[in-house]
Amino acid sequence: MASIRISSLHKVYGKTPAVRGVDLSIGTGEFVVILGPSGCGKSTLLRMIAGLEDITSGVVAIDDVIVNDLEPGDRGCAMVFQNYALYPHMSVSENIGYSLKVAGVARAERDEKIRRVATLLGLDTFLDRRPAQLSGGQRQRVAMGRAMIRSPRVFLFDEPLSNLDAKLRLQMRLEIKRLHRELGSTSIFVTHDQLEAMTLADRLVVMNGGKIEQVGTPQEIYRRPASLFVADFLGSPPMNFIPAVIDDEGKAVCADGLRPCPDLIWDLEPGAEVRIGVRPGDLQIVGRSARGALPFEVEMVEDLGTENHLHGTTTGLRMTAVLATGEAVPDHPFAVLIPESAVHLFRERDGARIDPRSVSRIH
Amino acid sequence: MTTSMNRVLSSGAAVEPEVSRKARPRIRPGALTIHATMILLAFIAIFPVYWMVVSSLKAENEIFSTGLWPSAPSLDNYGFVLSQIPMLRMLANTTVVAGVTAALHVLTGLFAAYALVRWRFRFSGFVYGLIALSWLVPFQVTMIPNYVLASRLGLLDTLAGLIVPHAAAAFAVLMLYHAMKSFPTEIIEAARMDGAKHWRILWEIITPNLRASLASLGILAFISAWNEYFWPLLLSRSIENSVVQIGLQMFMTQEGNLWGPLMAASTLASLPILAIYLLLQRQVIESFMKSGLR
Ligand SMILES: Nc1ncnc2c1ncn2[C@@H]1O[C@H](COP(=O)(O)OP(=O)(O)OP(=O)(O)O)[C@@H](O)[C@H]1O
Ligand SMILES: [Mg+2]
Repeated sequence: MASIRISSLHKVYGKTPAVRGVDLSIGTGEFVVILGPSGCGKSTLLRMIAGLEDITSGVVAIDDVIVNDLEPGDRGCAMVFQNYALYPHMSVSENIGYSLKVAGVARAERDEKIRRVATLLGLDTFLDRRPAQLSGGQRQRVAMGRAMIRSPRVFLFDEPLSNLDAKLRLQMRLEIKRLHRELGSTSIFVTHDQLEAMTLADRLVVMNGGKIEQVGTPQEIYRRPASLFVADFLGSPPMNFIPAVIDDEGKAVCADGLRPCPDLIWDLEPGAEVRIGVRPGDLQIVGRSARGALPFEVEMVEDLGTENHLHGTTTGLRMTAVLATGEAVPDHPFAVLIPESAVHLFRERDGARIDPRSVSRIH
Repeated sequence: MTTSMNRVLSSGAAVEPEVSRKARPRIRPGALTIHATMILLAFIAIFPVYWMVVSSLKAENEIFSTGLWPSAPSLDNYGFVLSQIPMLRMLANTTVVAGVTAALHVLTGLFAAYALVRWRFRFSGFVYGLIALSWLVPFQVTMIPNYVLASRLGLLDTLAGLIVPHAAAAFAVLMLYHAMKSFPTEIIEAARMDGAKHWRILWEIITPNLRASLASLGILAFISAWNEYFWPLLLSRSIENSVVQIGLQMFMTQEGNLWGPLMAASTLASLPILAIYLLLQRQVIESFMKSGLR
């Protein structure tokens, strides 16, 4: 178990930067998930922590010891790879026990530990098989066992579940969560799956273009995305965005002169271009004449069983609203309303989140 | 074949039409042409070997007859060969030379390929290019310098002298380079995470997974070392320190070739190679396919 400190970490491949200045502190026993689109540098960051990738500049410290120049095997980290990366010529038990063999642990002790880990993962009946004779889920477990056996200070996961089918993925997700609770080791988990990120993370790190966009608990990030990128990236169906301009009073005006949130005031210069964001589930269905209402034309309804997704347009913009299945879709023209508490506003210029002035009610 | 057929047959009536279609394959004219050609080529390839064995069994007065089988087959030629030259000693020498050469090929190839694939160093591409180029350098070019070097090192007329210049081969490096290059990096990284350093990664992770390539390379190197003629011819002085290919030459005299003994000696010299072919047929064929040589 260990804490990790990363400061101004950079990685450049030839001329292309992959990681551009990452600062992050991870506490002992924390489960941190790194989330971001493909190619944003998640794997590169993880591999620099593991020692598999040279660090161009910056510092990685584990338990306050700088490990930049330590070999991967000497950092006390264990890694679970996306393609499992099991040794094809070794049996399951040899795979799991290889790190102990390298470390010179006596055979009896090794076998004892292998058996303990295998039992924990439900692999005891497969110990003599080769990786090629296992299913994807079983291979995944072997990879986990191989990582666990040394009781590493840090667990590193690089999209370990992305090769499993949906059901198995859920099962392994729960298992990883359970193991983390039992072992309490510091873990860093890379994924581009939101659901995995939201459910596993103690703390979520959203990355984009080699940089960290936002760090926080999944709830914080979901409820208060710090940037346009995070707001757009997280959430399914994705957040609706309405372009608007700030008027002389500091209110947001969108196309057709509509004011979606007439009582909120932002401290932005008049004429500033912004985007109002609202999650589909936060939209309220109201009559067309309501104050601040945006007329909504339904084009298609998707019934997902637990909820209905209403896809349509508002002032010519695509918009999605979510209704619980119990709620009927209105059969007359209607509008949607953005509750004040559900408004997210981002400056167009840099994508930064701008909160409204809190004492702005003019009732 | 039959068991799988039986299984299919017993598995139900639904698949019967399929089976009966498979059971009586129609011979298409195209396939017939191909087979005829292959048979002809195989015959052309095998006939000289057959002729060699048959001739070795013929008496001297019959050697130029065109009969496909000697009227009175005898092993006299073999007796003559064994009495004239230390054939068994030479066979043993050749086995040692070819075996050690093949082993060294594999070993040096592994080291060089690992360094080229796994280590990033300046000019590694250049080094690789040089090695590839050295493959194209004909033996005749390096023959004289090698001879001078061997004589200075006191390796003339020794088995070591036959082995050392062939201890490393560009072909071996290139072949293993490509095999290693296609080995999944993630597995090596997993081993690094498990604490393994280069030596262990090479021997415990990579090598066991390259067995097919290593076997191919070993066989090819063994055969080519076995068939080596010019270098032993240059280096060997005494017949005791010589190899079978030199032994064969003893029966080509200025008064003419002793065909019967020559064929007998050739047969003896080919036996080990033949044995390798028979024992490791699958690997040999695979290795030739892989290396693109046929
Ligand atoms: N060995 C390499 N050489 C050159 N560029 C690389 C190398 N590895 C990664 N990159 C580049 O660095 C950037 C970050 O790659 P990285 O693998 O970290 O992305 P990622 O976030 O893990 O993506 P994914 O979700 O697809 O795995 C990418 O633009 C990629 O093209
Ligand atoms: Mg990745």
